[in-house]
Parts: sequence; C-alpha cells; structure tokens
Amino acid sequence: MLLAAETASSLMSLGLTLPLWPLLSAALVGIMLASGRFRGMAHVAVIAGALVAAVLGAVWFVQLAPAGDGHGATGGVSMDIAPWFSLGDGQMVGFNYYLDGLTGVMLLVVTSVALMVVIYSVGYMKDHHGHRERGYERFFAFLGLFIFSMLMLVLAGNFVLLYLGWELVGLCSYLLIGFYYRKPEAAAAAKKAFLVNRIGDFGFALGIFALYQYILPHVQPGENALDYAVVFRHAAQLTADQVNLVCLLLFCGAMGKSAQIPLYVWLPDAMEGPSPVSALIHAATMVTAGVYMVARCGPLFANAPDALEVVTWVGAIGAIYAATMAMAQYDMKRILAYSTMSQLAYMFVALGCGAPDSAVFHLYTHAFFKALLFLGAGSVMHAMGNVIDLREFSGLRSVLPTTQRLMLIGCLALAGFPLLSGFWSKDEILHAALEHNFPVFVILLLTSFMTAYYTFRMYFLCFHGPLRLPAAAGAHPHDAPPVMVLPMTLLAAGAVLAGYLGVAIHWGSPLDSFLFVFQGHGWFHHYVHNGSMVVTPVEHGSGSAVLYYVSAAVGIVGIWMAWRRYGTAPQDEPDRKSFGPLWLLWHARYYVDEIFDAVFVQPLRALGRLFFAVDRAGVDGAVNAIGGTPRALGAVLRVAQNGMLQSYALTTALGIAVLALLWRFVGTP
Amino acid sequence: MLIPLVLVGAALFSLGLIGFVTRRNLIIIFLCTELMFQGIVLNLAAFGRYPLSGPPSLDGQAFAIFLLAIAAAEAALGLALVVLLYRYRGTLDANAYKVLKDS
Repeated sequence: MLLAAETASSLMSLGLTLPLWPLLSAALVGIMLASGRFRGMAHVAVIAGALVAAVLGAVWFVQLAPAGDGHGATGGVSMDIAPWFSLGDGQMVGFNYYLDGLTGVMLLVVTSVALMVVIYSVGYMKDHHGHRERGYERFFAFLGLFIFSMLMLVLAGNFVLLYLGWELVGLCSYLLIGFYYRKPEAAAAAKKAFLVNRIGDFGFALGIFALYQYILPHVQPGENALDYAVVFRHAAQLTADQVNLVCLLLFCGAMGKSAQIPLYVWLPDAMEGPSPVSALIHAATMVTAGVYMVARCGPLFANAPDALEVVTWVGAIGAIYAATMAMAQYDMKRILAYSTMSQLAYMFVALGCGAPDSAVFHLYTHAFFKALLFLGAGSVMHAMGNVIDLREFSGLRSVLPTTQRLMLIGCLALAGFPLLSGFWSKDEILHAALEHNFPVFVILLLTSFMTAYYTFRMYFLCFHGPLRLPAAAGAHPHDAPPVMVLPMTLLAAGAVLAGYLGVAIHWGSPLDSFLFVFQGHGWFHHYVHNGSMVVTPVEHGSGSAVLYYVSAAVGIVGIWMAWRRYGTAPQDEPDRKSFGPLWLLWHARYYVDEIFDAVFVQPLRALGRLFFAVDRAGVDGAVNAIGGTPRALGAVLRVAQNGMLQSYALTTALGIAVLALLWRFVGTP
Repeated sequence: MLIPLVLVGAALFSLGLIGFVTRRNLIIIFLCTELMFQGIVLNLAAFGRYPLSGPPSLDGQAFAIFLLAIAAAEAALGLALVVLLYRYRGTLDANAYKVLKDS
C-alpha cells in the first residue's frame, strides 16, 4: 500500500514536469543549431519532447477522471509548485497548477494533437526530394516552445500565470505565422495577428487588474487573490456590475485569441504560416484558449448574465458571418480558417447558454477533425507545389487517394454527418441554444447547414471533377508519405470516435434515443463537471432525440446540395449566379479588411507619420540646435586659426594698435 | 633731440612690421624682425640719453648692448632654423608652413 502511494506520488511529481519536456526539447534544438551539427535531427528532439508530454498528458487525463460514475465530483485541485513574486499586501503570485476535468481534457487535446502535428511536420517540411526546408530546425524549436506555452496556459493555477501562457502562445503564433518571413504576406500576417491580439489582450489584462481590485477586499489572510481557487470561492461576493465588467473585459481577450467578431481579422491571414502550424495553433489549440478561459472562469461568468448575453450573441453572429465568408472563398486554408472561426463561435454560444461542458466537448472533437482537415489541406498543398487555390486544380482523388479518403472523414465530421464526432458535439450546442434562446438556435441551425454546404463545396472542387493540375505540381504529384499519413490517420480515428466519449448509450425508443441507442451527455460531461465549471443541470434522458434527427437531416441536405451544385467541380461557380452581389460581398469578405484599413490603419499610420515628423523636426531639431551652436561658433572662429604666421602677426599688431588708441583717446581709469 | 630719435625708431619698427606681414620669404621675414628689434633698441638708447624726467643715465645704452648680444645669438639660431626648414620642405615660402599639426 505504501509502495503504491510512493509510486503514485513519484508519478505525480513526474507529471508536474509535463510542460518542461517540450521546452527542454526546444532548447535542445537551439543548442544543436548553435553547434551547427545535427540540424537535420531537430525533429527527433521535439518529437521526443512531444511524445513525453503526450504520455504524461494521457496519464493526467486518466488521473483526473472522477471517481465512480462521476457524480462524486471532487472539484479542482490547486497545486503549488514554487513561489514567484510578491504583490505586496501579503499577496503572492506563485507557479501553481489548477487541476480539474477541464485541465485534463485540454492536456489530452493539446499533447495528442501536438504530437500528431510534429510527426506530420517531418514529412511536410521536406520537399519531394527529401531536402529540408530553410529554417527546418527553427520550425521545430518554435513548435516545442509553443507546446510548452500552451501547456502552461492550460495548467496555470492563477491569472498571472494564465496571462503568461496566453502571451507566450501569442508570441509563438507570431513567430510561426511569420515563419516564411521572406514572403511579405507572411510577415504582414504575423504582424497583423500580433497587433490584433494585442487589442484583445489589453482588455484581458484590464480584466485581470479589475478582478484583483474587486476580489482583494474579500480574500482571507493567507489567500492569494489571483489564484483560481480563491477567485472562484469569492466570486459570489462581487456585485453584479463588478462581475459583468470583469467578464466582459476577460471576454475581450477571448475575442482576440479565439478570433471572434470584431477581432477575427487576423485568423484568415494567419494561414500564411505552414499548414502544420495552421492545424495545431490556428485550429486545434491556441485559438481555443479563449473558449478554455471563459469555461475556466465559469464561476465568474455564471454570475454575469449580461456578459453571457454578449458572449451568446457575439458567438451567434460570428458563426453565421464566418460561414457566409467561407462559402465564397477559393483558398482551401482560408475556407478552413473561416470554418474554425465559425466553430469557435458555436463554442461561445454554448458558453453563453450556460453549457460550458458542451463547449468544451465541441472544442475537443473540433480539435481532431479540424487538425485533420488542415493537415489534409497541407498534404494537398504539398503535392500541388504550394498551390492551394481551388480554381487551379480539381479531380485530385485519382492522384491523392489517401489524402482524399482522410479529408472525406474530416469533412464529414465538420459537416455534422451523423455518428461522427462533430455531429455529437454540434448537436449538443444546438440543444443548449434551443433551450435558452430560440433566435440563436435558428441562426446556428442555418449555420450548420451552411457549414455542411461549404465544406463539401471545398471537398468536391478539390477532389472531384476532371483531373486538372497546376504547373507547380509537376506531372506526377506525390501523395502524402507515410510520416504524414500516420498522424492524419490517427486524427481521422479521433474525428470518427472521439465523440463517443460524450454520448450515453441508452436503449430506448427512437424518439428519445437517437437510432434507438444514443443520448447526449455521456462520460465526457461527468469528466469535465469535476472541477470549477458551472453547468446548468441537465436531467438524464430529458433531451428528446428529435433534434438529433433534425441536425442530421440539415447536415445531409447540406452535403447533398453541395453535391448537386459542385459534384463535378464546375469552374463557372454556380453560387455566384444564384446569390449575385451577395456572393461577391462574401467573396470580398464584406470588405472588412478594407474598412479596417481605412478607419483604423490609415488614420493611425497618418498619426504615426505626424509624430515622426514632430519628433524629427521638434525633438531632434532642438537637440541638433544645441549641438549645432558651438559648431557654428567654431566654424566662424576657425577662419582666424589658419596657421599662417603672418596673419597672426598682423592680428597682434592691429590689436596692439587698437589698445594703444583706446588708451590714448578713451583713457585709463 | 628725443623726438627725431624716437621717430627714427618708430619708422624702423614700422618698416619691419610691414615687411614682416607682407613678405613671403622666411629669410626676409627674419630680417624684418631684426629691423623691428633695432627700432626698439634705438628707442631704449634714446630714452636713456634723454629721459622724460631725472638726469640722463647709461641704463638704456647698457640694454642696447645686451640686446645686440642677444640678437646675435637669436640670429644664429633663427638662420639655423631657416636652413632646416628649407631642407625639410624645399621652399622658404611662409605659406608652406601653415600646417600646425604633425603631418
């Protein structure tokens, strides 16, 4: 018994090192870089780091499972690692972890998707001849750093540490979007992502400051005001205004990081980064940080109905807004980016409707199928010689059969095809919306139809119709090598099966059990309920299965419509004719970039130029004038010091003559 | 008798000064300094012989003798320098020697 306890505790302390392994691997790659040898081995270190993290993440996931059938929830555990700094007033900020079901899910998602993506990158970052891309080792070092940062973000036990992880993932995102920094678009996209996130993060920081101010009067001696556990314990003591303000400010941060209206503009541009980065950072993990944060702060948001209303509507509008733009794009990765934004908006609706468990469930299933889709798009891009425009190729199912099959699974999951993971989680969100807010439910239902439609528009345009290849692809495009197929296959398995953790098996009539068997709210929900999350209680077996049939029908009709219109990959764009100017508006992405450019960027740039001019003429001018005065004086006096003996003699003689004349005519005192 | 003597001294000094300032050849310039010197020596001797107050004394003429000796020594030194300068630069034009720092 004692031995078992010791084993458990040493396992625990090993588990606490979880985020350090990817960091160590990133540092190791840095050292290899410095030595110049082993550059080609960079991936080994990072795969090893990610593998250790994935194993420990899986161990934690199991460890954090609630005892028994899940009803004996124990709540979150705050675990102190080390002190960090003192805030005065006896307040400390420490390195501490907060461990509960939500942490467990995030650890599982982050470490498993990260491992898949890192393995995939080994194949992706080489060309067809096996030559490594420029910056190969830099790429892997950044990936390692990102995994560390994301793990810090999800493990953090206080708001300061959360903010640290939050900023670190932002930095890694910036570095990886700008990975091809010689390409002007990539450099601009990285800058845009960083600046737009900065706006959100500013609100986020203000939210943390406000929270500290408001919570400080309520803390007991020995409690640290910014620890989650303390905040959640005292959340109910804040006034409604205080908690609404804090929640709205925190949500600002979530809007930036999770690409919601109006701070979403960076996400489509972020697709300039390599495809594995899009899959890991801009689909599966980092962009879900906002959803995670709002779910984590459940005890705060539960007391802030106004903030929840804002969250719901920002989500609902964002969902359909992104979906319309996705319907009229040709860049595969951009379609997927808008779809990511739309799906994240679904999660925010679930959060706003008091169903954070459904939001996290969707986060979890979405991570697998969206990562799969991005990796599949990357595989297409890899084979097509970096061409990703759907107008440039079609009929690829004959040349890329493996990619096509895996993409089909991902597309079906995203479209909400019955029995795949996306179906289960999306349906739950629809259910939550139906119970809380009928207009939002209608919007989401329409969005899920559009999701199925645009996903399969993309799929058919890419893989169906006659075979056409861009010139950059060469005559014989290669399908993905095994090192890319393996992670995609595992993610595809996740895209099919992951949802079953969240459904309950309940034999019954087809009206209350979908296909006689399935009901919502399974083991996964008990798992995430074990912690800080505040969930509106749902009675088991209460949800009728009708909604399942409706959403299944919506998804299938959407796919069928796409098949009717795009099944042969027509090049004349049927939607353009059907929707007319609306389609053009969608295609131009509502001109939002142009509007932002005119309203914010250009005025700010003009202001910057003005400041620059003032600095040049005013501040620099004053300093230069101070320096210039002695110089001008010297320039005058230098004429006298010409080194000519005779002019000195003349000056001396004249000077004496003047003195003599003064003496003679002015006189002495 | 004082005034003519002083006037001759002043003329000598002025001629020397004008020559010093206007001429370019170092030897001529050097000769002009001697001329200025002699104007002053004449002044000293004149004021010694016809002082403005008190009895005449030999102090002025004694100074003149001293100064002649010093002027001889100085002329030897100065001419040696002029010769060296000529060797150094191959010219005795005063404009060639306006660089004050090491070259």
